[in-house]
Amino acid sequence: MTTIAWIERPPLTERPDAQTWHRNTGVAIAGLGLVIVAVAVAVNFTTAPAVGGGSDTAGTLAGTFAASTFGLGVTKIGIAIILIGIVLSLWRRVNAVGVALPALRAGTTTGGPRPATGEVDTPYGPASATTRPPEPLSIHRMAELLWLPVLAMGAMALTVGLLLGLWTSSLAGGSEAFRVASAWSQGTLFLGEGLLLSGISFLLGTVLSSLRRGGAEVQESLGVSVQTLKMPATATAFIALMAIGMMAAIVQFVLYGVAATAAGDPAAYAVWVSWLGPFREVALGVLLAGIVLALASIARALGFQFHRLRQLAV
Amino acid sequence: MSTNTPTRTTKTDRIPRTPEPRSDGFAVDGSDTSLGTNLPQRMGELLWAPMLVMALMAFAAAMLLGVLRADVVATTPDDAVRLAQLQHVTAGVMFIGFTAVLSAIAFAIARILGVFRDGGGQLQQATSGHVQTLKMPASAKLMIALMMMGMMAIIAAVIGHFVVAAQTTATADLLAAEQAFVTLEAVRRIGVSLHLVAIAFGLATIIEVLRFQAVRIGELGAAPRSGGT
Repeated sequence: MTTIAWIERPPLTERPDAQTWHRNTGVAIAGLGLVIVAVAVAVNFTTAPAVGGGSDTAGTLAGTFAASTFGLGVTKIGIAIILIGIVLSLWRRVNAVGVALPALRAGTTTGGPRPATGEVDTPYGPASATTRPPEPLSIHRMAELLWLPVLAMGAMALTVGLLLGLWTSSLAGGSEAFRVASAWSQGTLFLGEGLLLSGISFLLGTVLSSLRRGGAEVQESLGVSVQTLKMPATATAFIALMAIGMMAAIVQFVLYGVAATAAGDPAAYAVWVSWLGPFREVALGVLLAGIVLALASIARALGFQFHRLRQLAV
Repeated sequence: MSTNTPTRTTKTDRIPRTPEPRSDGFAVDGSDTSLGTNLPQRMGELLWAPMLVMALMAFAAAMLLGVLRADVVATTPDDAVRLAQLQHVTAGVMFIGFTAVLSAIAFAIARILGVFRDGGGQLQQATSGHVQTLKMPASAKLMIALMMMGMMAIIAAVIGHFVVAAQTTATADLLAAEQAFVTLEAVRRIGVSLHLVAIAFGLATIIEVLRFQAVRIGELGAAPRSGGT
């Protein structure tokens, strides 16, 4: 049994339409995240009219902030589980293509001279043609290795952030202890969110890696030249945005720690949190932008695969 | 193949297709040529990049507004009206970015689904002369619905932020502005959550499509080359 990126590769004997538990479980967990957010939001709605009144609403709002951020993280965990299901389904598809393609090619080019190797222009961009599958890209190896540890760290940070948020909500609003706890809670929650999005990005990198490896494996088994799409610009930009976003998520966590040390001076603390709020959100936004580019790269790689399949099958 | 079901055409691609029964539970349409992409997939193809650009611009603008607000906090902390205005405007601009980037993800997923539909159709057309196309699964419909709900929630919150910022002109307005911020923040969060669940449904649809394609390509390999299915 081969393992790909912490995932057991489906055996050739497995039915191609085998249901993966990841799909339904991932959707259910994503839905659970929505429920958590909805509950936190309902509390926010009921608390809003009391803001500025006699009661201390800061604690309640700190708690709902932590709970809703946790809920968003839970949905991201659901998304990650579905992505694992996609990797498995991609390999089942590779198995099916590997079995079907020799039959489709019967009587076409079997037995012909081996096509030339080198650079190839395709409608989906430049590709390289080789006799053997190319070595995996280092970024793909990294993605396959790191998605699980990063996701696990994200889930842990998110849980710690939730606990810190609930602790914050028990403290008197406006006190120094409240400001310290609030800073650590926000920093930890957004570190968790950033790590979860990074884990999702690494999983998307694993999808790209599976497309590349699976495509090459099928071509090699047919004895034809192995055409592999060169890394598109969207994939390069994806890596850059992911690295920037992940670093920013870590930096905001460190800076919230610095802000916590300034909690004794409310004025200085206010300056810190007034720009750290947008900064932590931009960090997540940059990671999400990277995910868009990863998906665009997957679309391009798939387009190339269908192009190559048609070449081989017809 | 069902012969009693009427052939229908769509305004978008006008290719005749007929629902075909399958024993494995996949709901498909049969046709002689590839059906190409459907409207949501074409929208995805067209809109993912502009939405991404809009998101990046909004994030940059929101970060600048955040720094500007921090400067006001540091230099004129007593100017509470200006601080409240900037707080609302920053949140509004930031969440234009979030709804844009989350929509871009949904559009990019729709684009991937379009590549599967078009590419799978063309491959079947080339190899067997008969095309089976998976009907839009319920998960894809849910993705579209939830994405629209999420987008509407965030846009409503963004408009709310801008309206409150415009209406906050005196110290007497500050309490209402603060209360509105708490309410609008809640609306934004539910909007983001809806967007994320929409993405989950979009990815779940990809699994369904991959399952169908794996089965279908096996059928193509097993069927005579010139025959239909």
